[in-house]
Amino acid sequence: MNHSPSENKSEVSRRSFFQLTLGWLASTFAVAASAAGAVRFLVPNVLYEPSLRFKAGKPDDYPDGSVTFMEAERVFLVRQGNTFRCLSAICTHLGCTVNRADHGYHCPCHGSVFDDQGAVKSGPAPRGLEWFQVTLSKDNRLLVDKNQRVAADKYLIL
Amino acid sequence: MPLPKRIWQWFTRTRVGRSIFRIGLPESNLERSQVMVSSFLLHVQPAKVNRHSLRASYSLGLGLILLYLFLILIVTGVLLMFYYVPSTEKAYDIMKDLQYVVSAGLVIRNMHRWAAHLMVLFVLLHMCRVFYTGAYKRPREFNWVIGVGLFLLTLGLSFTGYLLPWDQLAFWAITVGTNIAGYAPVIGPKLKYLLLGGNVVGQEALTRFYALHVIVLPTAALFMVAIHLWRVRKDGGLSRPDEPGDIVQQIELKQLPTNKTYGLMELARGTTPQVGKNPEDEVFAWPHLVFRELLLFLLVMAVVLFLAIFWNAPLEELANPIHPPNPAKAPWYFLGLQELVSYSAFWGGVVVPGLLVTALMLLPYMDRQRKGVGRWFARERAVANTIFSVCLVIAIALTVIGTLFRGPNWGWVVPWKQPPAITEGH
Amino acid sequence: MNDLSVRKFYGWFTALGLLVGILVVVGYYRDEYREWKEYQRKFIQEEIRRASTPQQRALAESTPVQIRQILLPDLNRVDRCTTCHLAVEDPSYGGYPQPLAYHPLHEQHPFERFGCTICHRGQGRATTTTDAHGDVPHWDHPMLPLQYIQASCGQCHEAADNPAAPELARGQQVFEDSGCRGCHKLNGVGGVLGPELDKVGARRSPEWLKKHFLAPASVTPGSAMPPQKFSETNLDAIILFMLSQTGESAPGYYASMKVIPSASEGQRLFEQKGCIGCHSIGDKGGKVGPALDDVGLRRPPEWMMQHFRDPQTVSSGTVMPRFGFTETEARALTDFLLHLRDQKVALSLPSLMSPVERGREVFRKYGCAGCHGADAKGGVPNSNAKTAEQVPGLIYVADGYTKDELKMRILKGQREIPALDAKRPPPPLYMSAWAGIIKDSELDDLAAYLFSLKPKEENPGF
Repeated sequence: MNHSPSENKSEVSRRSFFQLTLGWLASTFAVAASAAGAVRFLVPNVLYEPSLRFKAGKPDDYPDGSVTFMEAERVFLVRQGNTFRCLSAICTHLGCTVNRADHGYHCPCHGSVFDDQGAVKSGPAPRGLEWFQVTLSKDNRLLVDKNQRVAADKYLIL
Repeated sequence: MPLPKRIWQWFTRTRVGRSIFRIGLPESNLERSQVMVSSFLLHVQPAKVNRHSLRASYSLGLGLILLYLFLILIVTGVLLMFYYVPSTEKAYDIMKDLQYVVSAGLVIRNMHRWAAHLMVLFVLLHMCRVFYTGAYKRPREFNWVIGVGLFLLTLGLSFTGYLLPWDQLAFWAITVGTNIAGYAPVIGPKLKYLLLGGNVVGQEALTRFYALHVIVLPTAALFMVAIHLWRVRKDGGLSRPDEPGDIVQQIELKQLPTNKTYGLMELARGTTPQVGKNPEDEVFAWPHLVFRELLLFLLVMAVVLFLAIFWNAPLEELANPIHPPNPAKAPWYFLGLQELVSYSAFWGGVVVPGLLVTALMLLPYMDRQRKGVGRWFARERAVANTIFSVCLVIAIALTVIGTLFRGPNWGWVVPWKQPPAITEGH
Repeated sequence: MNDLSVRKFYGWFTALGLLVGILVVVGYYRDEYREWKEYQRKFIQEEIRRASTPQQRALAESTPVQIRQILLPDLNRVDRCTTCHLAVEDPSYGGYPQPLAYHPLHEQHPFERFGCTICHRGQGRATTTTDAHGDVPHWDHPMLPLQYIQASCGQCHEAADNPAAPELARGQQVFEDSGCRGCHKLNGVGGVLGPELDKVGARRSPEWLKKHFLAPASVTPGSAMPPQKFSETNLDAIILFMLSQTGESAPGYYASMKVIPSASEGQRLFEQKGCIGCHSIGDKGGKVGPALDDVGLRRPPEWMMQHFRDPQTVSSGTVMPRFGFTETEARALTDFLLHLRDQKVALSLPSLMSPVERGREVFRKYGCAGCHGADAKGGVPNSNAKTAEQVPGLIYVADGYTKDELKMRILKGQREIPALDAKRPPPPLYMSAWAGIIKDSELDDLAAYLFSLKPKEENPGF
């Protein structure tokens, strides 16, 4: 800054010091907060995809010993006696939809074979099929939550 | 030294800092010149400016305000593009989602809308300022013409953007606007057909308006703004009262000197800024100009944010081609035009506006008066100023009439007795 | 250069910097602190309080605070009501104050398939109470007052078929009885004096409709419609019926669920498929198959269902073809047959009626009573009409016209009504032309009925 010799240097510059500091802090904060706001703006709060939590109908809709494929959600609903489980139908290799075989599951894309527990028996799949949490909703329907992965031996028992 | 400055100074002396900012925080006059010339963003401005150009009371900073508004519109516009889809099935629902579901969606949409309206208003104010200070006169005639072009582009941007929410307000304003365009002789109907991509305001129109609004017109505007700022430099900076007469430097290229390194400066013809003629009038752009510009930016941001936080941009019902509101009104900047059209489609909608725009463009070339540049309402320009003011007042009056005093079926209403716009109940 | 020194602007810099900073913070707070988050937090607190096991408690504590929505692409809507109405599926929240109250779950209308606004209207995409409930400017579909909720059933289901919507059925009854169709088209059938009613429920509010029935000219200036004298119940019922006419159509899955298997649906099918050709009811009908009068006493419902699915499996050697009925159709026909004992059902079969009886139904169907009065006795005012300033009654048409003249009159209508006083405005009510709307057979029956109205004369149809 060009200071004139006639000014009282310390008096004026202390006030300037605070004004500038405060001004720059406030402006920088405003810019940073706006940028953060812009980024938050871009993060979706709702999705227009099929929901990851969905209802799979009533327990009695599924016969004992059945494996039911749900196309839109890409899962299998497995009932044995009074236990209900939900298996992902997405092959862990490259994402194709697996098919139900007599025992276990086969992937038509690259030949991965999974057993009834979803574990890999052969083929290029790196790990077993995922199991999703099944609970009972308040209105007595099966509630699948694909956000929650569970172990193969965790099922809903009614 | 204030803390932020100290931090910055430290940073620009590090290796990383030096690689980005070749000149750090200027401490000497040489560095003050260098920082303007060597910086990509800053070199649009000269190293030194005339102190008269800094006076807020002269230019009111209107051109800069327009630039800032444009920047805000680009940033908010790009953000909005991440959600908006120009589909007649989806656009309206997306507008609702922005309001209810997207974080900061409402405020960003509001910022975009209010900045757009402010920009149209300020482009008119800027045009008035340049006229009243005689700043369109020689050698700045062509810059004025570019300015008229930018004015039309601003209206075009606002108009194309107006349709995108696809609500009743948008649909019918554009219906009215494109109908007015269709009144032009010979090219009118063809122009309307081209704009709408058909005969009705529908999906084709929405797609085209979107393309115009997000890429075609902004690119044209950016290009024109660049030329506009370039011409400001080349014409000798902002106009001022004591400008020297034009100095045309003709360089006789008998032999190129080999010992100097001015480069292009020697070969360029035409006027050059008269730096150094009156040293006491010239001040360094850094910090005098740049700091004022920073302040103005903060002010514009504050105003736009304030409007955006406390007033919502309008969103009416979903566009319904079967149910026009009564009356159907064009956007406010076209309401004066719509009022004229209500008297005569041809004279009001085509001849008068066409003549006005032509007159604007030819204005600097028709004006023989050389004096009166750089001062507001110069006495020598009384006639020109009066004519302009009369036209301005008429335009404002027509707009006010169209906004407040016209009701259903474009009949007269008294606004304090009855709301001017009545939409049907369904 | 001191007067140009930027130092004098430092104060401005601080002020503006702070101003922008404060505005950004204010904007952040208004965006972040939303009404629905408060409701969700209250719900989570309540769930934690009610948790009786550690697992339940953990589940409650981990409930995320986020917008919940039901995507309904086939119904072209998104409902976010469950963002605040978080306990609609939980019976243990019965009796809680809104928005945490339980909504009785309709087995046939699961929320994830139907959402909320298809029945309750309102603005599903909104996330604030006022906006979502829809009573705001620039939103044409505010929430339906609960007293009219049965109107929504009528958007998909036939009014008469629905045991859960008796008010709707009553509303349709009032509509048919009052002869509204004489002036208004509904589903393509009716007169042209008034506007079509196909979407009236989407365009008009319950308040407007009420005023319209009681004093039409007060909401539609210059309307020729006479004020209607409805009882309180009938007025509500017909408003409800009008509200059900929204023009909503739902594709695919929803369309397949529209039909409620009921006796009246069964009756419609019975007529449509021509069962009377082989089977008899009373003394009318064919003799190929057995009489159906008491089939409800002789055969159990399961037998009838199987019979409709495949006649051979229950009556081997039968000549009755396999019609390919859907389960719903079979159930409807079964219901109808079980009710055949009820005389009214039998007699209302068009194929079993006499021309005069059918003609009375035609008179009712096309709303002639709306202008010509109930039982064609006249009495509806038509100011300045030469016919005693009323729409004429039809009791004595047999005296003034031959059957062919009468039919021609009905087909052509009468646009110009002779006026009493040429200086007064012309009579507002006129007769629509029914050519192209009324079928030939219906026209014959109608003429028979009208001729039968003349008192002290044998009914010509019998």
